[in-house]
Amino acid sequence: MNVFQLSYKNLFRRKVRTLFTIIGITLSTWVLVTLLGFNKGYENSLNDNIEGMGFQIVLTAKGCPYEAATLMLKGGTGLRYMPEEMVADVASRKEVAQATAQLMHVEFDPNKGENGGSVVYLGIDPTTFAEMKPYLEFTQGKWFEQQTGNVVVLGYEAAELEQREVGDLMLLSGSEAEYEVVGVLKRTGTQDDGMIFLPLQTAQKAFNKQNELTMLGIRLNKDVNQTAFEEELYKLPDVQVVSMAQVKNTIMGLVSSAKVIVLSIAFIAFIIAMFGVLNTVLMSVFERYQEIGILKSMGAMPKDIFKMILIETTILCSAGGLLGIGFSYLFSGISEVAIRYFLPFAPNGKLILIDSQIALFAFVSITLIGIVGGMYPAWRASKVRPLDSIRSE
Amino acid sequence: MKKILLTLFFLIGVQSNVFAAVGCDLNDPDRDVKRLFPTSTGYKTDYKSLDRMGGEETLKEVEAKLGDKFSGIYETIDVPYTVYTIFKGKEIIGYIHGINQKGKYGGLQVFLAFDPKGNVLDFYYQKLTSREAVQMRSKEFATQFKDLSFVDFKTYNPTTQANIPAQISKVENVDFYSTLRAVKKNLILMNIFVYDNQGE
Repeated sequence: MNVFQLSYKNLFRRKVRTLFTIIGITLSTWVLVTLLGFNKGYENSLNDNIEGMGFQIVLTAKGCPYEAATLMLKGGTGLRYMPEEMVADVASRKEVAQATAQLMHVEFDPNKGENGGSVVYLGIDPTTFAEMKPYLEFTQGKWFEQQTGNVVVLGYEAAELEQREVGDLMLLSGSEAEYEVVGVLKRTGTQDDGMIFLPLQTAQKAFNKQNELTMLGIRLNKDVNQTAFEEELYKLPDVQVVSMAQVKNTIMGLVSSAKVIVLSIAFIAFIIAMFGVLNTVLMSVFERYQEIGILKSMGAMPKDIFKMILIETTILCSAGGLLGIGFSYLFSGISEVAIRYFLPFAPNGKLILIDSQIALFAFVSITLIGIVGGMYPAWRASKVRPLDSIRSE
Repeated sequence: MKKILLTLFFLIGVQSNVFAAVGCDLNDPDRDVKRLFPTSTGYKTDYKSLDRMGGEETLKEVEAKLGDKFSGIYETIDVPYTVYTIFKGKEIIGYIHGINQKGKYGGLQVFLAFDPKGNVLDFYYQKLTSREAVQMRSKEFATQFKDLSFVDFKTYNPTTQANIPAQISKVENVDFYSTLRAVKKNLILMNIFVYDNQGE
């Protein structure tokens, strides 16, 4: 019988203890893999969601609020406009893959609430806007197809507030004309939910802003240097350039703080696994004190005993590690449901992404950590003096 | 950190597509309660819904009393209704309850303030989009609803528009009839939620 066989058989002599040790390592690995998968999945989903916002660059007139919430806080004041020709010139540049021009307008509605309130309208080109925001889906109807006409598409909350469905009529503040609702969007959680969309030319005419625009959303060709292009845009008179890359960096910077917490928990899982192994193996060494002494008296060298204990540890950790990885794969769906329950505003997409890299890392690191934990008991076992151990009770 | 992340997720719009039926709340409860009940010292907010108060059976009962079916994607069994109970010290001095109603050009939010016996103390539109908005938001229009109760609206039929309570002057406008439907629905629901079906 060789050392490996002896170690393997030893594990089966205390089946319950071996089982509980493996369960402990399995749980630690499970937590570790799930946390690392969550770390990766969350970052990827967030990234995809930010990319899915549609625009890489937003061009507005200098000082013009480009976000509806800011506009509402300012009571609808502060809107500035860019000439349509300049916007068309930017949109036609070779670096631009897609661009969509918009006219945002805020009107005071005396019938909104008891003291009136502001309503935000967005004039859009239905073709380019829909292409750049493909994640916008409809609960009813669809985008208007024409650039003119008295038709509107409502964001989810705007439709809810106005109790509008496709085919219903609406009055826009400051306009006597009736507008037909042709589409109601699904909830997105963005400012689009509260928006009333209408064809760009209709908006320009209704709000008396012919040849004026508030915003140009831009997506660049893949090989274009975004920073250099932004520098070019800054040369235009009275424009501001809002780069989604900056927004993304800010968000990712904040998320990285949360990542530290996640990785700290993963580190704790490591430590728990290591001390679990150390405790179990040390106990088994003490229990076999006399037996180890006999083995030595029969000619076993200290390195053989050391090797025997270390092999036992490695088998325990490998089995626990493999089971933990298996469980984390198997139950990643349930873990994701639980995470979404506690984090209802988590990004769309797969939140737990376990790939072979994570699985390999978890297996190797848990096994190594276990081996480190088994070093001390193995060393203690190798130092057992045969006569002392045989004499002991 | 949690707050920052939640705000952030709202801003960048990464939210799951959760559907929730829309309720009708006071825009500024502290201000509105004090205006409608100047002597009040506090209020309590309760959320009721038909699906939690008997479900389909209660819905049918409400529809039968209303004389009209619930319709559209916003008038559903799971709509949460907010009932404000108004206190003066420990004594209940009234209730406030609002209803969302589809109008011709937009949503109507019709609020009624009640005394503890179920009589209307005040009527007002929190939201109204109508070509006749000025007339319908007038004090004279609102005063017509004062002292009415469920019994006065019992025979009003929102489908045929017959049997309008005598003290209410007719306005030939779709939103006027939508308002009457909203008032009747409000009275029916309050009769179930608070007044234990009195006057049935």
